[in-house]
Amino acid sequence: MTIDLYQPPLRYGSAYDELSSDGVTPRTHWAHLMDSLEEIGPDELGRRWSRAERRIRENGITYNIYDDPLGANRPWKIDILPFLIPAKEWRHIEAGIIQRAQLLNLILQDLYGSQSLVASGHLPAELLYANPAFLRPLVGVKVPAQSYLHMLAVDLARSPDGQWWVMADRTQAPSGSGYALENRTIVSDVLPEVFRTSNVLRLAPFFRAQREALINLTQSSNPRIVLLTPGPHNETYFEHSYIARYLGFTLVEGADLTVRDRCVFLKTVNGLEKIDVILRRVDDSFCDPLELRGDSLLGVPGLVDAVVAGNVKVANALGSGLIESAAVMPFLPGLSKLLLGKNLKLPSVATWWCGQPYALDWVLNHLDSVVVKPAFPARGIEPVFGADISQDEKQRIADQLRARPCEYVAQEQVALSTAPVWEDGHIISRSIVLRAYVLNTGNGWVAIPGGLTRVAESEGSVVSMQRGGHSKDVWVLWDSPVDTFSLLRPRNAPLELSRGERAVPSSVADNVFWLGRYVERSENIARIVRSILTRIRQADPLEFRCLLRLHRCLDSQFSKLPKTKKARRPTPAVFEKELVGVLTDSNRPDSLVCTLAELSRVGGNVRERLSADMNYLIVQLRDSIPVEQIPPFLELPAMLTASLELLSAFSGMERENIIRGSGWLFMSIGRRLERAVYLTRQLREITAPLAEEEWSFLEYLLEVDDSSMTYRTRYYTTLQPLAVLDVLMADETNPRSLSFQLKHLADLYQQLPRHLSDDLQAMQMALAMLRSFNLQEMRYPSSSATTSSTATPVSSEGITNLQRFLGDLEGLLLSWSNNVSHRYFSHARTLPITISQ
Amino acid sequence: MIYRIVHKNTYKYDFPVSVGSHVACLEPRSLPHQKLLSSELRITPRPATSTERIDYFGNRLCIFTVQEPHTELLVEARSEVALDVAPPLSRKADLPWELVAKSLPEDRSPAGLDAYQFAFESPRIRTHPDFADYALQSFTPGRPLSQALLDLTSRIHKDFRFDPKVTNVRTPPEEVFRKRHGVCQDFAQVQIACLRSLHLAARYVSGYLRTYPHPNKPRLVGADASHAWVSVYSPGNGWLDVDPTNNVVPSTDHVTLAWGRDFGDVSPLHGLVIGGGGHTLKVGVDMEPLDSAQSNRA
Repeated sequence: MTIDLYQPPLRYGSAYDELSSDGVTPRTHWAHLMDSLEEIGPDELGRRWSRAERRIRENGITYNIYDDPLGANRPWKIDILPFLIPAKEWRHIEAGIIQRAQLLNLILQDLYGSQSLVASGHLPAELLYANPAFLRPLVGVKVPAQSYLHMLAVDLARSPDGQWWVMADRTQAPSGSGYALENRTIVSDVLPEVFRTSNVLRLAPFFRAQREALINLTQSSNPRIVLLTPGPHNETYFEHSYIARYLGFTLVEGADLTVRDRCVFLKTVNGLEKIDVILRRVDDSFCDPLELRGDSLLGVPGLVDAVVAGNVKVANALGSGLIESAAVMPFLPGLSKLLLGKNLKLPSVATWWCGQPYALDWVLNHLDSVVVKPAFPARGIEPVFGADISQDEKQRIADQLRARPCEYVAQEQVALSTAPVWEDGHIISRSIVLRAYVLNTGNGWVAIPGGLTRVAESEGSVVSMQRGGHSKDVWVLWDSPVDTFSLLRPRNAPLELSRGERAVPSSVADNVFWLGRYVERSENIARIVRSILTRIRQADPLEFRCLLRLHRCLDSQFSKLPKTKKARRPTPAVFEKELVGVLTDSNRPDSLVCTLAELSRVGGNVRERLSADMNYLIVQLRDSIPVEQIPPFLELPAMLTASLELLSAFSGMERENIIRGSGWLFMSIGRRLERAVYLTRQLREITAPLAEEEWSFLEYLLEVDDSSMTYRTRYYTTLQPLAVLDVLMADETNPRSLSFQLKHLADLYQQLPRHLSDDLQAMQMALAMLRSFNLQEMRYPSSSATTSSTATPVSSEGITNLQRFLGDLEGLLLSWSNNVSHRYFSHARTLPITISQ
Repeated sequence: MIYRIVHKNTYKYDFPVSVGSHVACLEPRSLPHQKLLSSELRITPRPATSTERIDYFGNRLCIFTVQEPHTELLVEARSEVALDVAPPLSRKADLPWELVAKSLPEDRSPAGLDAYQFAFESPRIRTHPDFADYALQSFTPGRPLSQALLDLTSRIHKDFRFDPKVTNVRTPPEEVFRKRHGVCQDFAQVQIACLRSLHLAARYVSGYLRTYPHPNKPRLVGADASHAWVSVYSPGNGWLDVDPTNNVVPSTDHVTLAWGRDFGDVSPLHGLVIGGGGHTLKVGVDMEPLDSAQSNRA
């Protein structure tokens, strides 16, 4: 029996133990899992656990916690043991939450319509009028198929007597369903044999139904659907991008959208594209700064008017946050009888809305046993647990309740049930809350078979992801064969074949452009520094000078080395310190570690557009340079080689695995542009010109530009500046040459939609100029005294001109880059400004 | 009493605005004692879209978007309004203010419910015991609502200094209350905060005030600009208007544009623009009496 792994809950008897009724024998539906766990054994489980943890990290699954010292991108914490629900129990929960969704939807319909529930006294008027979530501009606005709720999330808790209770309703933009999906993927992967043999209801059909449901909101046959996110800083941003990718929707922020002619449009590199449906993760009042909260930077000005005009559908409907308030709960039993003619199947946790005098009295007399919460949720106000606070504090709370009774609710503090959790080789027991989801398909409501189980961080009853708790997968163990395709469209239904690319949002183009640039920039830094590192310890003074010159190719504004030529040459120790800084100094914006962080940031912004493998590489790249524990100096080259391998794997995927659409064009342009810029810098070190005793610099440069082999096959070991210039500048077959970059920039740019002929010509002319330099006819000036006295006078005019041209070219490339940004991305970042009297 | 009102709003932008979305709340309401004879809104440049909508409070809004690049936006509202003298208060229906406050939550008649929503805090007006304390000096036990209201109005008029330079549209009533100065909007919002702190229903009224240019008449403050005052619900008498800026009961000199919970609900013109850089706004209001008797006097 597996119980030897298991430590029963300490406070046994006070909470419902999900696993076992007596603390010894597992309940029937847990037996198979527990037996299997024993079979697998703690060691193997431990191995699988760490594999899962690694995968979470690699997949970049994160949950941002506000004010978390780890900052954004905190890995999602998941428990490998699923939470199990037997079929019979699930049917009860399912029926309960579906009924609840129907009821809440009807209430919203009334409150945004005739408000008869208020006039008849079934709902206190205060819940409407004192509620900041009541959005007056949306009253009377038609909602398609009366579906205010597209999706509802319900937080459920089980009390000691085994009964499930609703603790909270999430009605405006419920989160977590994407995490549930990801948890399923991971847990079924960790416990494949158990999953296979447990007859678990599948999640995928539910998400396909969600897609269909959103499509059904419009009449359009091929609607454009976007997922509106508050952005990467939001706590559940990972989930937004995950769902967008899973459902095939475009992930957008408010600034990506604009309203014209009372319709919502997406700003794309092709121009404006009309949007039919918005699946939103932005809270109600932030959705439109024109008619809702004027200080919102997350919304779309004019969205409400577009909704009023019926030109866009928003799910959940704007204003549906109105009944997220726990203050509604005490009235649900009566409303259920009134509106559905039935008793409420799943009760809410005992809730008192203090706006009712008798409720206020009761709460004031029972502060010890309740949780006091704001009636109208606002961020920053934490629930107060009456049992945990001092007498003074209680007095203060009581005063607040008396002063503003309408603004508070009190809820019974439920002793949450406990479920087994895997921790450090043991199974321990933790409090849990189940978040279940209901979806409005347009043809009825369906519940997601499972959901997200959230686990308390430590012994105790507070369960909050914001406080850093875990989550669990939820397995509904079905009692008849599981139909995995029940909600799918018939598999033989005709599907329109399509190759058309959906236009790329401007902000996405912006991000992939910079992704290309940062990949290239990282590679450049890594290559240059690696070349220096492998030589610095054995370099003689002359070689040392060449290495400093190579460092100069980084063109670092933040270099700690002396800037002027007259200053004393840095000591090797100073140079080494500088190199370590270039790699690992996280306070230095041009360091490799910062460049990789930026790469990971812009990559994260478009994660739903990159393949899983590319996302994985980006996470690995970010972690390839440690910030805290810097490896010993001699190990740095190996570290860089590892980063370079990842970068070339990324480039390989970029070349082989990405559809040649606008997204790829922008990434490639970014890459070519970056490479062109640093090549001009490198080549200028040659045309400076270079003294003969420093010609070993040429060898380093060839290595940095991965062109040593090419050079050697052509010129053997003779190093000459003009020959190196030919390879790195003029040879259009060398993908590391400057002319190759310019040629491709012109070609790529020409393929962009709406490209400007001026910018195309500028690049073509730069290429023509570059081609016009005939290296064959040039003489490389010699700076050494011996050669200057030779008989033939040397004209170094060609090199001087080339030097000047390269300087101009760098300026041109940078302004060209600005032009591209301006043409394709700038309006993506333009935020509207509020004007008023 | 018939007025012709011309209300011009001119925005000037430092740089061209590519898209500007605006909401105008500039059409006078039709009321038992106020008849709207004509009304039009002229917008330059011509908006690409323009929609009229009645808001939750019954005000007529115009939501419009200018989609061509522009550096100047002119919104001119012209209307003609006929005003009657409102009927006098019924003394019998003038209940003690506590009774009024107590009856509000129980009154589920349409008028009662409509009034009740103005008893709550709104985005710009929070209640506070300090407001209640100030108001209670006028709202003595058992005093009829209208008497207490007029007393509070005159106290605000006396205690607060009119100064257009010290506040802006965003100054919270708490600050105005502390510093005892501001403009009509501030006084109205302070008075509303006072009334709501006593659980009375009070709404913010935006409108126009007629000025008498005659040299030996006192010039009323708030001339040639939008004006704002307060309206309080009395179950027996309906809504009672008071103007704390001038310590008067609005009659045939006050034209009602719109009402809401606070300034935010009835801002005459607000919007969002893309581009533009900085901007300036010039507002000019001209309120001309058309009746012959009045014209003679002028």
